[in-house]
Amino acid sequence: MEFNWSPEDIEHRREIREFLDEELPDNWEEISQHGPGGDSQAAFSRQFCGRMAEKGWLTQHWPGEYGGRDCEPWRHSIVGEEMWAIGEPRGSQYMNVNWIGPAIMHYGTQAQKQLHLPKISAGDVLWCQGFSEPEAGSDLAALRTRAERIGDNYVINGSKIWTSYCNHADYIFLLVRTDPSSSRQQGISVLLVPMDTPGIEVREIPSVVGERYFHEVFFTDVTVPASVLLGEENNGWGVVNYALQFERIGAARYARAAVTLDRLAEVAAERGMLDDPIVVDRLGEARALCEAARVLVYKVIDLRAKDQPPTADTQLARVLSTTCDNAIGRLALEIFGPESREYASYADNNFRLAMTAGVAVGATEVQLNLIAARFLKLPRE
Amino acid sequence: MDFDLNEDQQAVLESVERLLAQHAGPARAVALNRAGDYDHDLHAALEAAGFNQIARDLARDDTLAGLEAALTVEAIARSGGVVAAAAQMLVAPALCERTIEGPVAICTVGELTQPTPVRFAAHARSLLVLDDGDAYLVSPAPGTFEPVRTSFGYPMGRLSEGASVEPDREGQALGAGAADTLRNWWRLGLAVEAVGTMDAALGHTVEYLRQRRQFGRTIGSFQAVQHRLSLCAIEVEASRWLTREAAFHNAQPEAVAAAAAYALQAADTLFTETHQLSGAIGFTCEFDLHVWSMRLLALRQELGGVGAARRALVEARWGAA
Ligand SMILES: Cc1cc2nc3c(=O)[nH]c(=O)nc-3n(C[C@H](O)[C@H](O)[C@H](O)COP(=O)(O)OP(=O)(O)OC[C@H]3O[C@@H](n4cnc5c(N)ncnc54)[C@H](O)[C@@H]3O)c2cc1C
Repeated sequence: MEFNWSPEDIEHRREIREFLDEELPDNWEEISQHGPGGDSQAAFSRQFCGRMAEKGWLTQHWPGEYGGRDCEPWRHSIVGEEMWAIGEPRGSQYMNVNWIGPAIMHYGTQAQKQLHLPKISAGDVLWCQGFSEPEAGSDLAALRTRAERIGDNYVINGSKIWTSYCNHADYIFLLVRTDPSSSRQQGISVLLVPMDTPGIEVREIPSVVGERYFHEVFFTDVTVPASVLLGEENNGWGVVNYALQFERIGAARYARAAVTLDRLAEVAAERGMLDDPIVVDRLGEARALCEAARVLVYKVIDLRAKDQPPTADTQLARVLSTTCDNAIGRLALEIFGPESREYASYADNNFRLAMTAGVAVGATEVQLNLIAARFLKLPRE
Repeated sequence: MDFDLNEDQQAVLESVERLLAQHAGPARAVALNRAGDYDHDLHAALEAAGFNQIARDLARDDTLAGLEAALTVEAIARSGGVVAAAAQMLVAPALCERTIEGPVAICTVGELTQPTPVRFAAHARSLLVLDDGDAYLVSPAPGTFEPVRTSFGYPMGRLSEGASVEPDREGQALGAGAADTLRNWWRLGLAVEAVGTMDAALGHTVEYLRQRRQFGRTIGSFQAVQHRLSLCAIEVEASRWLTREAAFHNAQPEAVAAAAAYALQAADTLFTETHQLSGAIGFTCEFDLHVWSMRLLALRQELGGVGAARRALVEARWGAA
């Protein structure tokens, strides 16, 4: 047991920060105000990820045979922390490199690998994740979007909801029911569907979180070749579980929260608020929470670095990471006070980005259920 | 980074746990607490096996083995051991090179000028005193501290009327920087003890709720109960890893302040939740929960508790408080 970064990792963090300093334009805060799915950030991500790819950093954690450098998960986690902390200039492409690419490596056919992996590692393709449906939220296995095999094609009908990033996406990683007689986890498959296929319609769902945050995606007789099937037919649940096994902590929320908190402390000091013991107490509490979330996430990265199967540590880390993000989002409103009432002010931007943390990628309560069952071994009934 | 024990650490932990299985445990804690006694046998066994000096004995290149000492203290707290482990194994070795005779107690000067109960003081051969910018060591003569009855799970003593521990400052001051060293390692010790203690309190409660049936089912199967226990588990695990990290960095001030701020807050949650979810049996002497739960509240009272840890964290991180 030891808790030191290697000199190489420390150097890599320095390099990444220097790179961000050079690459991010002066108006980056404005570009990133609607989060990774916003129009300006999506456009910027293509340019930015291209530059990262040139440096060899975008997919450095991938195996050499797919153009990566076989770097340890720790190295990749540094990239994740630094990117998320500054507002994720990779846009939605963090998903590509974290789990979509690796899922294709694991389950993809030769043709699928040849089609998708070079694009992802060049940083010039956007994906979205089509899982949730109106009647299948936390209970994802209730999904109903249907893909019927007709000859060499699949014909897709149904709809997805809450789909982030799909307004700019080139592809959707789509979960469908391929066996109509099946229920629950059986009979589900993954299709890699180009978003420009006729019959796909995207509608924005206006929200208080930000512009272009949520969408519905409708599929009406969408016909795709059967070759878009990833993995075996009706084994989609296995594919998704493999793909997402570590993704619950994919976004380094604690890192962003910590950077925001540093700014809040600076502002509090400038405004003489540190004479107020309550403010000091709140800042201290918040900082401890960021650190607590960080160390639990590191515990999960350690398992991953050792190629061990994921454990309920992932859920522990996820709950604390989202709690921390939420808490600092709200603290920003308190520190900035009336100023935060203005849309797109610093506190407002941070607050809105944080406010969904406990629901996105699986509600906190579902994580707590899993902790009770797997970590505490409490009985179901 | 490596979150697994290495072979040496594993050996340390296994051997202290073997020793604790023989010399400690809740039943023993209950008996000692009833009499207000210190566990001299356990203390001697730890001394004989070399655990009291572990931070120095395993030191490398003059760097204390803070993590190995912390793992030991965590295990002792988990076992409900009635010994001043944190003071002896973490604080004392950080403060001076020569061995400080145990049992060791720690207090602030305020706890002497306005005498209040101090953990282990009635049995201490050495007392470390924090006086703002100063730290000193005294060897209280027998009778200097009178035993005080307490609800909070550790033997305590208060400065006797008319007694004093005015140090010979020339001889016993611990030198420049000692106050900060004392403060940081003391705070680290509190966090480490809280971790082991919370761990045991939660484990005991969860075990009970796996068995206890009401309404025709085990109470531990109710989701409302499960969620509260899951949140407790998150707080214990986060406290554990923050604290181990801070111990590995030998009580670096910011890391310690974060660990203590988090763990001492968690201690409050754990006290409240484990008792609430255990029902009436949880308040009785026949149910061991109190061995750990009551201690959590005592730990929260030392060195300014959560509030002071948060202030220290703000100061260490942003240079202001
Ligand atoms: C910002 C954001 C981005 C998203 N992006 C995507 C995306 O790109 N692609 C995609 O497919 N989906 C996406 N989602 C959807 C997300 O995965 C779902 O919101 C999530 O799984 C919860 O489903 P739901 O919203 O339908 O809530 P519901 O399932 O309706 O649950 C509502 C609430 O009930 C409680 N609850 C639910 N189940 C239980 C239970 N078993 N025990 C106790 N309490 C329970 C929880 O508090 C939960 O928040 C996104 C969501 C958000 C907020």
